[in-house]
Amino acid sequence: MLRAALSLLALPLAGAAEEPTQKPESPGEPLPGLELFRWQWHEVEAPYLVALWILVASLAKIVFHLSRKVTSLVPESCLLILLGLVLGGIVLAVAKKAEYQLEPGTFFLFLLPPIVLDSGYFMPSRLFFDNLGAILTYAVVGTLWNAFTTGAALWGLQQAGLVAPRVQAGLLDFLLFGSLISAVDPVAVLAVFEEVHVNETLFIIVFGESLLNDAVTVVLYKVCNSFVEMGSANVQATDYLKGVASLFVVSLGGAAVGLVFAFLLALTTRFTKRVRIIEPLLVFLLAYAAYLTAEMASLSAILAVTMCGLGCKKYVEANISHKSRTTVKYTMKTLASCAETVIFMLLGISAVDSSKWAWDSGLVLGTLIFILFFRALGVVLQTWVLNQFRLIPLDKIDQVVMSYGGLRGAVAFALVILLDRTKVPAKDYFVATTIVVVFFTVIVQGLTIKPLVKWLKVKRSEHHKPTLNQELHEHTFDHILAAVEDVVGHHGYHYWRDRWEQFDKKYLSQLLMRRSAYRIRDQIWDVYYRLNIRDAISFVDQGGHVLSSTGLTLPSMPSRNSVAETSVTNLLRESGSGACLDLQVIDTVRSGRDREDAVMHHLLCGGLYKPRRRYKASCSRHFISDDAQERQDKEVFQQNMKRRLESFKSTKHNICFTKSKPRPRKTGRRKKDGVANAEATNGKPRDLGFQDTAAVILTVESEEEEEESDSSETEKEDDEGIIFVARATSEVLQEGKVSGSLEVCPSPRIIPPSPTCAEKELPWKSGQGDLAVYVSSETTKIVPVDMQTGWNQSMSSLESLASPPCNQAPTLTCLPPHPRGAEEPQAPLYPPSDPRPSFAFPPSLAKAGRSHSESSADLPQQQELQPLMGHKNHTHLSPGTANSHWCIQFNRGSRL
Amino acid sequence: MGAAHSASEEVRELEGKTGFSSDQIEQLHRRFKQLSGDQPTIRKENFNNVPDLELNPIRSKIVRAFFDNRNLRKGPSGLADEINFEDFLTIMSYFRPIDTTMGEEQVELSRKEKLRCACLQVPLLTRGQVLFHMYDSDSDGRITLEEYRNVVEELLSGNPHIEKESARSIADGAMMEAASVCVGQMEPDQVYEGITFEDFLKIWQGIDIETKMHVRFLNMETMALCH
Repeated sequence: MLRAALSLLALPLAGAAEEPTQKPESPGEPLPGLELFRWQWHEVEAPYLVALWILVASLAKIVFHLSRKVTSLVPESCLLILLGLVLGGIVLAVAKKAEYQLEPGTFFLFLLPPIVLDSGYFMPSRLFFDNLGAILTYAVVGTLWNAFTTGAALWGLQQAGLVAPRVQAGLLDFLLFGSLISAVDPVAVLAVFEEVHVNETLFIIVFGESLLNDAVTVVLYKVCNSFVEMGSANVQATDYLKGVASLFVVSLGGAAVGLVFAFLLALTTRFTKRVRIIEPLLVFLLAYAAYLTAEMASLSAILAVTMCGLGCKKYVEANISHKSRTTVKYTMKTLASCAETVIFMLLGISAVDSSKWAWDSGLVLGTLIFILFFRALGVVLQTWVLNQFRLIPLDKIDQVVMSYGGLRGAVAFALVILLDRTKVPAKDYFVATTIVVVFFTVIVQGLTIKPLVKWLKVKRSEHHKPTLNQELHEHTFDHILAAVEDVVGHHGYHYWRDRWEQFDKKYLSQLLMRRSAYRIRDQIWDVYYRLNIRDAISFVDQGGHVLSSTGLTLPSMPSRNSVAETSVTNLLRESGSGACLDLQVIDTVRSGRDREDAVMHHLLCGGLYKPRRRYKASCSRHFISDDAQERQDKEVFQQNMKRRLESFKSTKHNICFTKSKPRPRKTGRRKKDGVANAEATNGKPRDLGFQDTAAVILTVESEEEEEESDSSETEKEDDEGIIFVARATSEVLQEGKVSGSLEVCPSPRIIPPSPTCAEKELPWKSGQGDLAVYVSSETTKIVPVDMQTGWNQSMSSLESLASPPCNQAPTLTCLPPHPRGAEEPQAPLYPPSDPRPSFAFPPSLAKAGRSHSESSADLPQQQELQPLMGHKNHTHLSPGTANSHWCIQFNRGSRL
Repeated sequence: MGAAHSASEEVRELEGKTGFSSDQIEQLHRRFKQLSGDQPTIRKENFNNVPDLELNPIRSKIVRAFFDNRNLRKGPSGLADEINFEDFLTIMSYFRPIDTTMGEEQVELSRKEKLRCACLQVPLLTRGQVLFHMYDSDSDGRITLEEYRNVVEELLSGNPHIEKESARSIADGAMMEAASVCVGQMEPDQVYEGITFEDFLKIWQGIDIETKMHVRFLNMETMALCH
C-alpha cells in the first residue's frame, strides 16, 4: 500500500534530530581509563523517547480523570488534542522547530492496529451482523458519496473563485482530497461515542461504518493518487474500470486475509494446552500478521484485522484458558487505549508545525461546510432508502446523530501527510484544511454531541446485566423466527443465520475448538456459568449479602439463611447493630458466641468453596499452573449451582418451613435432639429466634444431603481433597453438636476447614500439616480471634453428646489409631478437659490419612513438612494456646 | 376455505384482520396449500414435510404453537386438531413487522391508535403472549418450573454433550432469577409458583420484544424447499 511504502519503519518519536538541549552530557572524546560513569543517551534515545511519550500521555490521562466534572463534559480526545497543542508549543519554543510529529508510518503500522484489533475483537458480533446491511451501505455508498460530492463541490468553489488562486489544484486533486477527508475515522468515533452511550444499534452503525469504510477510502485514495500522479490526461477508460475493480479486490481481499488468519489463529489455539503462556501472544501476533499481510498486499488492513478479530473470537475464547482470556482482554484494551492516547496527543503536536501547512480561508471554510452538509444529506438519502427495507426504521433523531457523529481523525491526517508535494502542489493547503477539519470534528462536534444526544433524547443504551432468562428467551426467539421462516418458506436472514449456526456447530467448531471446550460450548450454558461464578464470588467477597439478596429469595428456608448470613456479617463487624433492621438478627447476635460460631460455621461451610488444593510451587517460565484457578472456578460454580438447586427444591415441593414445621422433623433425628439437649444443659439463654435458625438450618442439611447423593459420584473422582474435607466435616460435626446449629453438616465435599475449625483445632490442623494450606485466605482473614472463647465453651459441653452418625467412612477408618479415638467407636469424641491436644494427630497418622488420596508426587513434600508439623504439635500441647490459632497462617506462609 | 379464498372480498377481509397485504396473503396461501397438500386445513403431520424445521431443537413447541387455541383466539386452552388458512394467517401475523407493510397514512393511523390505547399495547402483548403460551404448555397462566425445565431441555437438546441435569439446573437458575426479579424479597412463607404473564413481561424489560420478533414476509421465494 502506498502509505506503507512511503512510510519508513522509523520509530515514531525518535524521528527527532538530536537536540543539544536534551543531552546533558555528550559521549564526547574517549577517556583514557576505565569510566566510572558513562552517559549513553544515543543508544537508548529512540525507545526512551517512545516510552517517555507514552508515559506523558498516560499521566495526562490520569490527570484528566482526577476531575470527574471535566471528563463528563469534555471527551478525553479533546483534552488530549489540546494537551498535544500545548506540548507541541513547548517543544517548538524550546527546540525552535517542530518535533515529534505523527508520522504516517508509525501511525499505520503501530498505532492503528491495536485500536482496530480491539474494536474488531470486542465487536458485538450479533449486533454487527444484524445491521450489516445498513453498515455496508453507509460505509460504501456513503463514503463514495461523501468523497465525490465534497471533491466536486470544492472544485466548484474554486471555479467560482472563492478559493484563492494560489491553491493550485484541479478536479482530480480535489477528488483526492475529498477521498481522504470523507472517511469517518474509527479512532475518533470510538473515542467520542464510547463516552456518549447512544443505543447499540446507532453505535454499531456509526462505528461499523467507520471500520468498514477503510477499504473504500484506501481504494479511492490510491486510485485518485495514481490518477493525479499520472496526470489527468493520461487516464484511460480502463483505469476507471480498474479503479472500480480494485474496490472489490481491496475490500474482499482484506476480509479474506482476515478470515484466513482468524482460522489459523483459532486452529493454533486449539493446540496450546501445554503452553498456555503463549496463548495471548498468539492472538496478538496472528492478528498483527493479518494486518501486515493485508498492508503488504495493499489490501484493506483495517478490514483484515476487523474480520480477524471478529472471526476468531468465538473459537479463541473457547480454547484459551481463563487467565489467557483475561490477559488478552486487558492487554488489548491497554494497547488500544495507549495508542489512542498517543494518536490524539501527537495530532495536537503535529498541528503546531506551521511549516507544513498553508492557510486558505475559502478552502477551509468550504471544506468544513461541505463535509457537514454532504454527510447529513448522504445519511438522509441512504436512510430513506434503507428504511424501505429495514424492519426497524431509523428515525430522524438517529439520522441527526449519525450525520453529526461523522468524525474525522488521524487516518485523514496521516493520509494527507503522505501526499507527494511534487505531484500535488496544493498539499500544504490540504494539510491545513485537514487539520482544521479533524480538530473541528473532534473538538467541536465531540464536545457538543453529548448535549445534543441528551437534548434530542436519543435512546441511550441501557446497561443491564445479562440475565439467564433473557438469554433463554432470545434463543427461543431465534429458533421461533427461523422456524417461522421455514414454515413460510422464505429464506431470509434468520434462515441463513440458522443455517450458519448449524454449519458452525457441525464442522467449524469441531475443527477449531478443543474437544473439551466444544462439548460444553453453548451460549446459554456460558451465561449460566458466568452468572454463577459472579454470584458465588460476590457471595464469598461480601460475606453472603449478595447471594441472600439475589439468589435466595425463595421461601422461608433461604430467607432464614439470609438472616444467618446477616448476623455473621454483623458479627464480623463486631456489633449486632449496624445496618441490620431485622430484629431477629439482633436476637441471634445477642444469643451467644457459640451460636454465632455455629451460624457462621454453617454459613461458611455452605458459602465458601472447597479448600484449595495445594499449589505446586513452580516458577516455570513456560507454564502457569492455572489448573488451580480453573478448579476453583469450577468449585465455585458447582457450589453455587447446588445452592440454587437446593433452595429450589424446597420451592418445588412446596415445603414451607414455618416456625412450627421444622420441629417434628427435628425430633425425628436423634442427633438433633441431642443438640437441643445440649443446649438446654448448657444453660444458655434460648430464645425463639435462635431456635428458628437452628431448625431451619436442619432442613437445609437434609436438602443438601439429598443433593449430595445426586452429585457425589461425579464430584468425587474429581478431587482428591474430598477425603480430607470429609474428615474435617466429621470433626466439625462432633464439635458442632454443642453449639446447636453447627451440627448441620452440609455436604462433606464442600466443607472447607472453616474458620471455626481453624479456631478450635489448631493442633489437629497443624498435625495434619497440609490441611492448613487448604484454608482459603478468606477464611483465615475473617475469623475474629475472640471466637476462641466461644469455641472453648462449646468444647466444654462435648462430653454430654452422643456420637453422631457419620457417613464419611474412608476418613474415619484412619481415625481409630488416634489416642482418643478409642473413646468413641464411630468417631473420636474429645474430652472437654483438654480438647486441643486431642486433635493433634501424630504426623504419621496424618500421613497415613493423606496417602489414600495424595498422589505420589505430593508425598515428598509431605515428608518435608513433618519436622514442621512435629514442632507445631509441641507448641500446641503446651499451654500457650492463646496465639496458636494463627499458626495456620504461619503454616501457610511457611508452605508457600 | 381454499376455493372461496380467491374472492377478493375475502382477501380484503383477511387483510383487515391480519394486516397482511393482498400479495402476501396470496403468497402465504400458496405456501399453505403446499404445506397442506391442497387440503383446506393443516394438521400437525403436515409440518413434518418442512425439511428445514427438522433441525430446530424446539420444533415441537413451535408447531404446537400453531395449534394452540389461545394463539388462535379460540379458547382459553387446548389444542386444535387442524387449522385453516385464516388461523394460519393469524399465527403468522404475530410475526409480521408492523410498519413496513402499511402505507404512510396507515402508519399514522396506527400510531394514533397506539397513542389512544397506549394501555393496551396490542402488538407487544400478543407477541409476548405467543412466546408465553409456548412456555406455558398446560395453559394455567403460569410457567411452572417443570414447564420451564422442559423448554430449556429442548433448547439444549441440540448439543448432545450437555446433559439433562445441567439443563435442569439452568432452568432452576433461571427460575430463581425470575423469582428474584419479579417478587424481590419474599416473605418467609411465600412460595414462588411460577412465572405469570406479568412477571414474564417484567423479565423482558430492557429487551425490545417488538424489534426482535419479526420476520420479513416480502419476497418470499416459495417452493423447491418443500416437497
